[in-house]
Amino acid sequence: MLQTTDTRVPVTVLTGFLGSGKTTLLNRILTEQHGKRIAVIENEFGEVGIDHELVIGADEEVFEMNNGCICCTVRGDLIRILGNLMKRRDKFDYIMIETTGLADPGPVAQTFYMDAEIERFLRLDGIVTVVDAKHIWEHIDDSDEAKEQVAFADVILLNKTDLVAPEDLERLEARLHHMNAAAKIYHTQNAVVDMDRVLNVGGFNLDRAMEVDPKFMEPEYPFEWSGVYNLQPGAYTWVMGEGPDPAMQVALLPLVGTEDAARAALIERAVLTFSDEKRELTGGGALTPGETLTQLNLNVSGETHFTVGIAHAGLYTLFTEHHPDEFGAALFHDETRLEAAHTREYKPDHEHDEEVTSVGITVPGDLDGDKLNRWLSQLLRTQGQDIFRMKGVLSIRGEAERFVFQGVHMLFDGRPDRPWGSELRHNALIFIGRNLDRAALNESFRACLA
Amino acid sequence: MSGVTRARTVLPARFDGRWRAEMDDYVIALAWSPDGALLAAASVSGTIRVFDAQAGSVSATLPGHAMGTNALDWHPDSTRLASIGQDGKAIVWDAKMGERLHVLQVGASWGERALWSAKGDLLATAAGKIVRLWNGQGEQVREFTDHASTVTDMAWKPGTDQLAVGAYGGAVIWKADSEQAVRRLTWQGSTLRLCWSRDGSVLTAGQQDSSIIFWDARKPEPSMMWGYATKVRELAWDRFSKYLATGGSETIVIWKFGGKGPEGTKPIQLVGHEDLLTALAFQHKGSVLASSAQDGTVLAWLPGKRDDPLGGLRGLGSVSHVVWSPDDRFLAIGDDQGAVVVAHFAQT
Repeated sequence: MLQTTDTRVPVTVLTGFLGSGKTTLLNRILTEQHGKRIAVIENEFGEVGIDHELVIGADEEVFEMNNGCICCTVRGDLIRILGNLMKRRDKFDYIMIETTGLADPGPVAQTFYMDAEIERFLRLDGIVTVVDAKHIWEHIDDSDEAKEQVAFADVILLNKTDLVAPEDLERLEARLHHMNAAAKIYHTQNAVVDMDRVLNVGGFNLDRAMEVDPKFMEPEYPFEWSGVYNLQPGAYTWVMGEGPDPAMQVALLPLVGTEDAARAALIERAVLTFSDEKRELTGGGALTPGETLTQLNLNVSGETHFTVGIAHAGLYTLFTEHHPDEFGAALFHDETRLEAAHTREYKPDHEHDEEVTSVGITVPGDLDGDKLNRWLSQLLRTQGQDIFRMKGVLSIRGEAERFVFQGVHMLFDGRPDRPWGSELRHNALIFIGRNLDRAALNESFRACLA
Repeated sequence: MSGVTRARTVLPARFDGRWRAEMDDYVIALAWSPDGALLAAASVSGTIRVFDAQAGSVSATLPGHAMGTNALDWHPDSTRLASIGQDGKAIVWDAKMGERLHVLQVGASWGERALWSAKGDLLATAAGKIVRLWNGQGEQVREFTDHASTVTDMAWKPGTDQLAVGAYGGAVIWKADSEQAVRRLTWQGSTLRLCWSRDGSVLTAGQQDSSIIFWDARKPEPSMMWGYATKVRELAWDRFSKYLATGGSETIVIWKFGGKGPEGTKPIQLVGHEDLLTALAFQHKGSVLASSAQDGTVLAWLPGKRDDPLGGLRGLGSVSHVVWSPDDRFLAIGDDQGAVVVAHFAQT
């Protein structure tokens, strides 16, 4: 099917726990898009009613099929209601489906691929998940539904950001990103967001399958912590106690600008710095700002002091291999302990070895088509149940065009795209799922190279 | 008032268009009165029209249901017409006078089916998981709620007071005079349509997962037939309970019952439509099968005798219904643009 002539009515699925701000967002969409004819399908036991004429109540009825295939599991209520809406002469411009916090987005998404009538008239545009930044912690560890809603999302609204401290927000964002590296995450208060960030996002559109930046697909950092210090010229001391390791690698980088882009660029530079040759330093040595990886060797017992000389006033970010708390480490000026103005952790807490993660694979070169087919069918057969979403672009030997794909569980949707032209032929793909084995996926994928 | 025009026939067909009228929206229900004098049609947005079946003139316009009408059914007296819709109500109308006789609360906002029993002493309504039986005075006499999901279809077993109710998980057969189910026909999968063979020996179910299943009273286990292109909502039994015609693709697939079949047999396949089938109907007393599809065609077939169509009609929108008149001489057709067409079928 040619995507450019796709006149099917777009559908956005809104998920999120009770009280996350889902209904606020829905009301906002209906208000801001008042010129359009929008139908809303809402759970009959929804939280707060919405003021809109075209609301249809639904019971969330999940239909499994006789063959037991999870990809055939669909939402019977949606098939019935959407089928009826599509018959009407007064067509809709847009359809919003609001699910309860207990809904599994999988059957909702599959409904758009497993029913010929629905597929003919409607296209799933995206899954938008609203997260209550303050209360998500109560669910994220033990609720499968909360994890699934994060994992399936094209867009995550971190809502109620005014109720949480910035460092908690960063910790949460890092964690959500680790779970779903393909989703765009926006911070909101009262669910205020630009409409074009939540509507017509093309989350299931093959043309946009590779808008995922591979750089952000691999949320694996060689450091666990960073802290931003506002420093005046002078002499400082980095003091470390005994810790789990006899040494720790660090890098101290000047930060220019405070906007998100500057911070992101700095993290990129830090990643590069950590891949450089390291310079070793023992107690009393001088740690200098700049793109140098320094290994701080600790004394056998007691504290170890490193001097830090600052020539120019400004913001400096210290990246550390481990969390400073593990070594009771801190920066001092004279006898005063300095707190970082801003900190960030790059790995979720160690005890949260995430069940739901993203695995990104980026490999240059061409794939053997037969090997790829065998690998993919084996993968979907054995792990399709645990793969929530996948998308990517592949370079297949002998094919002039890029091959783009996306999928939900075992449903695979792919086709040749534009020619590679002068672009470096490569493969970039991402899997979001449960209990994914990063190393095994990478290894088995690389085995498909021609 | 709808305009009445002659239907256009393009194929050298045995169908002769008699009249055509326009509803305001997709024709979601179409039903002949048992005496053949009236034809009732409902649009998806709610309006119900009762036509004089011979002339095509509108004899009554009923407001139907806010949010949309879903189904219609005539009482055997050819006067009372039951409708059900998305306002949580079923209404029993005097179709000739255009008056409401009874307004029934069906138990959930989405009313899916209303069906009179063969004798006309009971009206069954389905809404959500709730099936209610009502007597001729509009009083509720029974309620059945033990269904695994929203009820998708119902069918009275021919000649009995047993009602088959379809939902996710198969079908349940209830009896009017008992709160206990007569039988639970369990099947993991979602039933969309139910259809009894005319002799009541086989209950067939069209399924969401592109299959059909049937429970044959002569066999201990249900059987499944799969391989359809899409979900199967088109089911029709012939008058001898020998042929079951099924949709679910562009090709009509007909299973032959009796002998050792249909399990393990190759079905009759009738090719003629160029898009997914939308409706199938065997004549009441004859053997002609009418079929319709999304490509706007209606074809007539004689299964088991000929593999090519006897004739047909073209030029409609996506056809939603084909219904034979009680005397089998006329075919009523509804489409997605709101057209209602009655064509004479000339048997030669």
